[in-house]
Amino acid sequence: MKINWFKYSAPMNFYPLAGKLIPLFWILAIALIALGLYWGFFKTADVLSDQRQYYRIIYVHVASAWMAMWLYAVMVAWAMVGLVFNTRLSFMMASATAITGTVMTVIALATGAIWGKTSWGTWWDWDPKLTSFLILLFVYIGYIALQSAIDDVRRSDKASALLALVGLALVPIIYYAVNCPDPNECASLHQESSLERVESNILIAMLITTLGFWMYSFATILMRVRTIILERERNTSWVSKLKEFNN
Amino acid sequence: MNEFFHMGGFGAYIWSAMGIAALLMVLEPVTLVFRRRSVIAQIKRNKRLEERRSNNEKN
Repeated sequence: MKINWFKYSAPMNFYPLAGKLIPLFWILAIALIALGLYWGFFKTADVLSDQRQYYRIIYVHVASAWMAMWLYAVMVAWAMVGLVFNTRLSFMMASATAITGTVMTVIALATGAIWGKTSWGTWWDWDPKLTSFLILLFVYIGYIALQSAIDDVRRSDKASALLALVGLALVPIIYYAVNCPDPNECASLHQESSLERVESNILIAMLITTLGFWMYSFATILMRVRTIILERERNTSWVSKLKEFNN
Repeated sequence: MNEFFHMGGFGAYIWSAMGIAALLMVLEPVTLVFRRRSVIAQIKRNKRLEERRSNNEKN
């Protein structure tokens, strides 16, 4: 049996596939986020040794922060595939990922500020992790702005792909900005994020919620890429034959 | 129930954090639905204009 590995790299074939997957991802997203939050609020202690109930913001804060970083890497990966193989759909996927990544970054910054207020007494501090995360937001916005600024689609895809690649240097900086071995050498407010030290029920709730955020990201990115496909491929015959336009 | 919302005095912080996340994660797909509808309406309109134009040329 001959398998055509590149069948779904054509917008015409990917469009209906994405359409079928979207409801599945929504169901998974809602189920997992609900389960994660239920676990996090009802199966965990109210008060920890160093934090009071407000620690529960962690479920949304960590999930969105991880997604912000991970989606950035995914966006760059699609942009690179597009640059190397010159495939239209790859650039569309990169473009679709950008906005969801921005939303996740904003959620992480907002929930982080609220958590910071309760646990450190301040909404913001210019420490390495927070500052580099804010820069990540600027790079996301820069990517989106650059894409909309250039009229020619091929040029704007390539230019923003290069911008995204340069910004990729930020992701390890964010990750390592606090996990430095000697706390005396890094003056950072954001604490070390080592998973081994998190109590297991909290960890489970955190991981389930993160998985739920992943499913949410898949759902919204696939929704967006379907619209981008319609926008970019509007003059093709397969689009004019779709049932959205023939009823 | 009240105890749950009060969360030891931190209710405002916790629920506003959850609220911001929930709001953005609802707004995002809602804006996507609007964007999709607008593209579909545009394409339909273009199609109609095309058909009308080609009908005029035939006649």
